[in-house]
Amino acid sequence: MRPVRNWRDALTVVGFLAPALALVGLFIVWPAVWAVIQSFTNRSLTGAGALNPEFVGLENYRRLVRDEDLRSSLLRTAWFVFVSAIVGQTVVGFVVAYLMAERPGWRLRFMPVFAAIFVLPLAVPETVAALTWASMANGTESGLLNRALGTVDAGPVRWLQDHAFATVSVVNVWRGLSFAMVLFAAAFAGFPQQVLEAATVDGASPSQQLRQVILPILRPQILIFLMLTTITSFGIFGLVYFLTRGGPGNETEIVGIYIYNQAFRFFDIGFGSAAGVLLLLILLVPGVAYVRLMREQA
Amino acid sequence: MNEVTVAVRARATNPTGRRAKGRGGLGQTAAYAVLVALALFVVVPFSWLILAAFDARATIFVKVPETWTVGNFRNLFADQDGFRLILNSVIYAGGATVVLIVVTTMAGYVLSRFDFPGRRPLMLGVLLIRVIPPTATIAPLYVIATDLGLLNTYRGVILILAALEAPLVLWIMKGFFDTVPIEIEEAAWVDGATRFGAMFRIVLPLAGPGVAAGGLIGFIGAWNQFLVPLVLISDQDKVPVSIGLFRAWVSYTRVDWGFLAAMATVYVIPAIAFYVIARRALQASIAGSLAGT
Repeated sequence: MRPVRNWRDALTVVGFLAPALALVGLFIVWPAVWAVIQSFTNRSLTGAGALNPEFVGLENYRRLVRDEDLRSSLLRTAWFVFVSAIVGQTVVGFVVAYLMAERPGWRLRFMPVFAAIFVLPLAVPETVAALTWASMANGTESGLLNRALGTVDAGPVRWLQDHAFATVSVVNVWRGLSFAMVLFAAAFAGFPQQVLEAATVDGASPSQQLRQVILPILRPQILIFLMLTTITSFGIFGLVYFLTRGGPGNETEIVGIYIYNQAFRFFDIGFGSAAGVLLLLILLVPGVAYVRLMREQA
Repeated sequence: MNEVTVAVRARATNPTGRRAKGRGGLGQTAAYAVLVALALFVVVPFSWLILAAFDARATIFVKVPETWTVGNFRNLFADQDGFRLILNSVIYAGGATVVLIVVTTMAGYVLSRFDFPGRRPLMLGVLLIRVIPPTATIAPLYVIATDLGLLNTYRGVILILAALEAPLVLWIMKGFFDTVPIEIEEAAWVDGATRFGAMFRIVLPLAGPGVAAGGLIGFIGAWNQFLVPLVLISDQDKVPVSIGLFRAWVSYTRVDWGFLAAMATVYVIPAIAFYVIARRALQASIAGSLAGT
C-alpha cells in the first residue's frame, strides 16, 4: 500500500471510489438520513399528507412510544431473535460444530457427508424456504409434520394458525443454522490442536477443555456470528411475511412486518420511517460491536 | 512446549487411544443420534420441493408421485408468465451483478492500493452499512425511488439491489486485491505500463477468481431479494420469481403446485450452485481470517 503522493493519485482515489460511494450513499445512507428528517413530518403515501407534508416535531416519536402495537412488535422481535438466532442458531450451531470437530480422543465418521447436508439451506432463497415449510407445517392431517404426529396418535396441529410464532422461529433456525455451522466448523478447523493435546495431557476433562480452552479461544468467532445473526434476524421480513403475513392477529408481526404494514398497507410513510429509524438505532448496538470485532482487518 | 514433546507425551499417557475411545463410546453414539436428527431436520423440507416438481398431480402435501414427469419444467419454460418471471429475475440479478463488479472492483482496488486519510474509517463505515437490513430503510427508499422515477423500472431495482450488496462485495474485492503483491504492478510500471494498463492487464487477471467470487456472491443476494421488488414493482410483467412465488402462494386454491415447485426448484439451483463455487470468499469476508480460510 502506498500513500497518495500527487494530484493524479488523489484523482484516482476519488474517481475510483465515487461510483460505489454514490450508489451506497444514494440508496442506503440517504434513505436513512431522509428517514430521520421525514420522521418529523406527517408525510404519507396518499391524501393531503402526501402533497404537503408538514413539520410535526416529535409527534411521530410520541406516537411510536405510545404505540402498543410497536412495543409488542419489538418485544416479539427480541424474543424471536433470542429463541431462533441466539439459542437456535448460535448455541445449536456451535454444539454441532463442536461434535463434528476432530480433537484428541474424539473422531466421528461420515463428517463430510453431514457437513454437505447441513450446508444445504444456506443459499436457499427465503421465499423457497417459506414455501417448503408451508408444506411441512400444513395444518391438515395430510401435512408432513402432522402425519408424523399421527403415527403416535397425536395431532393434527394447526402449526401456522395455533403455533405460528414457534413455527416461524423454527423456520428461521432451519435457515440460519447452516451459516452458523459453516463459520464454527471453519473456526474449529483452524483451532490450534496442540493446545487441546496439552490440556488432555494435563488431565483436563472434556467439559473443562470446552469451558477453559475452546470457548475463550473461539470467543471472537462466536461473538461475530452472534452479532451478525442478531442483526439479520432483527431485520427479517420475507421469511415470516411469506408464511403468515404477520398473523394470525399480530402474533408473528415482527418489526420488519410492522414497518412494512405502516408504510405500505396503511400508507403512513412518515410513521413507517420513524419506526425504521428506531430499528436502525437498536441495530446500531450490535452493528458497532460487529465492526469493532472485525476492526483488525481494515 | 513444542509440538513434538506434546505428541510424545500424549502417546506416553495414552498409548493406544483405547481409553479415550472407550469412554467416548456412549458419547459418540449420542453425537451420531444428534447429527442424524439434525440432518433429517435439514433435508426433509426439501422433499416437497423435489417430489412435487416431478409430480404430474402435485399438491401442497408431500407425496411420492404416482406418475413422474418433467412436464412441470416444460410448462414452466413454455408458459409465458413462468418464463417471464425467470427472465425478470435474471435481468435484475444479472444487471445488479454487472453494476456491482464495475463499482466494487474500482473501489476495492483503490482501497487496497492507496493509503489515504480516512481510509480505515471508510472501510469500517462500509462494514457498518453492510449490516443495515433493508427493512429499516424501505419506507424512505420507496419515496426516494419514486422521486427519482425508478418505480416499476428495471434500472431502479437493479441499482438498488446493487447498492444493497455493494458493501459486502466491496470488502470481498478489496480482500482479493490485497493478495496481489504491489511489486508485480510496480514491475509493470518500470516496464513502461501505465497505471491503468497495469491494473487492467496485470492485477485484474490475477485477482480474477476473486472478482468472480465477489460477483457470484452479489448475484446470490440480488437473486434472492424479496422485499425490494415487492415494494418497488407492481407492474405484473416486471415481477421476479420471488414475488411470483409469493403471489402464487397467496392465491392458494388456484395454484398449480407442480408448476410452482418446478419454478421454486429452478429458482434455487443457481443460488446453491453459485454458493458452492464462491463460499470460501464469502466466509472470509464475513468473519475474516478468524474463520480460518
